Amino acid sequence: MAETKHAEVTYEDIEEICEEFANREGAVVQILQKVQEKYGYVPADAIEFVGEVLEIPKSKMYGVLTFYSQFYQEPRGKFVLKICVGTACHVRGAGLLVDKVKEELHIEPGENTEDMLFTLEPVACLGSCALAPMAMVQGTAYAKLSADKMVSLIRQFEEEAVKQEEPV
Amino acid sequence: MDIMLTETLEDVSVSSGMQTELPVIHIGMATCGLASGARGLLELIKKEVEKRQLNVRIVPTGCIGMCHNEPLVDVTMPGKYRVSYKNVKPMTLNQIFESHFGKNEFAKKYAICQIPLAGAQPYEGLPLMEEMPFFKGQVKIVTKRCGMIDPLSIEDYIAMDGYKALRKALTSMTPEEVVQEVTKSGLRGRGGGGFPTGLKWSLTQKSPGPEKYVVCNADEGDPGAFMDRSVLEGDPHAVLEGMIIAAYAVGGAKKGYIYCRAEYPLAIRHLRKAIEDARSRSFLGNNILGTDLCFDLEIKEGAGAYVCGEETALLASIMGERGMPWPKPPFPAQKGVWGKPSVINNVETLGNIGHIILNGGDWYASYGSEKTKGTKTFALTGSIKNSGLIEVPAGTPLREIIFSIGGGMVEKKIPFKAAQLGGPSGGCIPVDGLDTPVDFENVVAAGAIMGSGGIVVMDEAACIVDTAKFFLKFTQDESCGECTPCRVGSKIMLDILTRITEGKGQEGDLDELVRLSMYVKSNSLCGLGGAAPNPVLSTIRYFREEYEAHIRDKRCPGTVCNDLIKYVVIEEDCTTCGLCEPVCPSGSVTWEKGEVAHIDLTTCIRCKACVDACKFRAII
Repeated sequence: MAETKHAEVTYEDIEEICEEFANREGAVVQILQKVQEKYGYVPADAIEFVGEVLEIPKSKMYGVLTFYSQFYQEPRGKFVLKICVGTACHVRGAGLLVDKVKEELHIEPGENTEDMLFTLEPVACLGSCALAPMAMVQGTAYAKLSADKMVSLIRQFEEEAVKQEEPV
Repeated sequence: MDIMLTETLEDVSVSSGMQTELPVIHIGMATCGLASGARGLLELIKKEVEKRQLNVRIVPTGCIGMCHNEPLVDVTMPGKYRVSYKNVKPMTLNQIFESHFGKNEFAKKYAICQIPLAGAQPYEGLPLMEEMPFFKGQVKIVTKRCGMIDPLSIEDYIAMDGYKALRKALTSMTPEEVVQEVTKSGLRGRGGGGFPTGLKWSLTQKSPGPEKYVVCNADEGDPGAFMDRSVLEGDPHAVLEGMIIAAYAVGGAKKGYIYCRAEYPLAIRHLRKAIEDARSRSFLGNNILGTDLCFDLEIKEGAGAYVCGEETALLASIMGERGMPWPKPPFPAQKGVWGKPSVINNVETLGNIGHIILNGGDWYASYGSEKTKGTKTFALTGSIKNSGLIEVPAGTPLREIIFSIGGGMVEKKIPFKAAQLGGPSGGCIPVDGLDTPVDFENVVAAGAIMGSGGIVVMDEAACIVDTAKFFLKFTQDESCGECTPCRVGSKIMLDILTRITEGKGQEGDLDELVRLSMYVKSNSLCGLGGAAPNPVLSTIRYFREEYEAHIRDKRCPGTVCNDLIKYVVIEEDCTTCGLCEPVCPSGSVTWEKGEVAHIDLTTCIRCKACVDACKFRAII
């Protein structure tokens, strides 16, 4: 896994987010969601600041953070490959998709590629079982995938990334 | 305020449920439609409309249930029935347009059915929707509007009797009468619990104190289930209406929460819009419809924890805590959100409320079986031909669901093996159980649960042990860790199952699994642990031989467990066609013209490519 660069978080930024939710302790899950929306993950500094603002002990902050699988403590790739491994996808070969990505990008589930382009994230069920096996990337659902289709998707994203980097 | 509603109804001259003056093009844009390319198709439709300078209304709709036929496009010409087209591709679009707008007929080649509209004329030579095998056995109540209306349009909802039930409840019924009507309907919790909804409401109503809450459980976490997603995406106002009626019935709750899993971004977007629109029409907010009822809603997005579908865990999560269940009592009806009496219902349960209030509890109870009244939605998936969302009267036999509505197996030559009902808390029903009426009691007797409604169909190519392992791995991952039987028990059971699938199973493993199952079931704190062993128990009950094949013969009959697979070519069945040789990525298949192929097991990577390539099932 590549060395990751962490985001810079200021106390003021976090204070602002907390205020949005009226500094309610009950909103801590939503506040962390907002933090993650802003930084792409929940940086360690942010947890500390939220705890300070809301006066919640660090242990409890981490308790909440680590309980939910959708909070990430590390930065993530530009394209998060959410491969559904729910029942219907499982019986229709989702495992092969995961294996193919591992082989193609040399990453394990939960890891990022060195160039921070991809993250592999098998997820329990995306609720589109009739399209199994399926995956979701940047909010778009891709249906009836195969290992080969998965590879061409990856190529497609790589091209997209190159295009975006090219000066106009 | 009454007047406003009437005005609103008059506003709606163009609606999806009724005949229209303008031609209407419906396009299925729920998650399954989008994943099948509906967005690109919508752009093409817009272009085509522009090019032909047509005056039409383009309506994105939710899911009508035929996910296997997406993307779906419907065309309604004034005075005619609505025609449905399946698997529409950019190329077929032109012909559909040409037929309707050029020749004033329908495109025979691509149409699947027509949907009757009041006062309109049918086309000749096209079956009606209700005549199709997929729809014939179905009774649509909660999914009645899904796929028919634009879910983002409150006008569409109102035009199909939307918010009428709310008005009826608020203006002509007391809260007690509302509860009575729900009780009479026999409606039971559709999230899988099966607790009588009327009783739940009445308990909350009788709980003391002025501050009460209504919570909608939209944390549909069972893998293989998407009924709630379809309802939220396709008819979000129905859920809102159910909640507002609940708020009235339990004695004037002021605040409600919808707890929706974050994996459903589209559902959340539709809910947001619905809430906004409902507020602007005075269905939410202060003095709803001019009465004393003041009620508003907030969406809480989940953060990825299956156990939050358990009601007390969900409540903990709403309050910003780790989503861990608490022992009942106290029940949420006594002590729920912020320690106040709360009624918590599932999406589908709430979606039924409006229909019950409007048509009466007796009407609803006229559907279904003796102890499970009404209808139930199911997500039909796996190795089945017509996968999608269906709604049938409770008590419909499993055989009818799978073979009539579902159209049977997707691969004709591979027969049915089992149906998995109820997700990680459910079990597998084998061929012998196909005549089980699907309702709460009968499915439990067959060793599974009706659950929230996921039916995953498996054919002979699936491995039962692998399936049991799959579910146990899921519950083990999702166990919150609070109680030991669930946390540790599920881990030990998973270890045993993993061992079996790796060919290291031992005599006595099955007895140990059963013993542990009973222990975990009876000693876990919440439903998650209490039901976690079900997939294991039901499969041992019906498929003991398959477990034994793994343990004693080190063989996986479904050829799924990699460590137990030894691919061989059956000489008698091999036609020496050679299709298997070029597909092998490791060069393990050798074949000479006119000779039977051979597989070198020392280099074989068990990728199954040769098995898939063989048209004669000569490689097993």
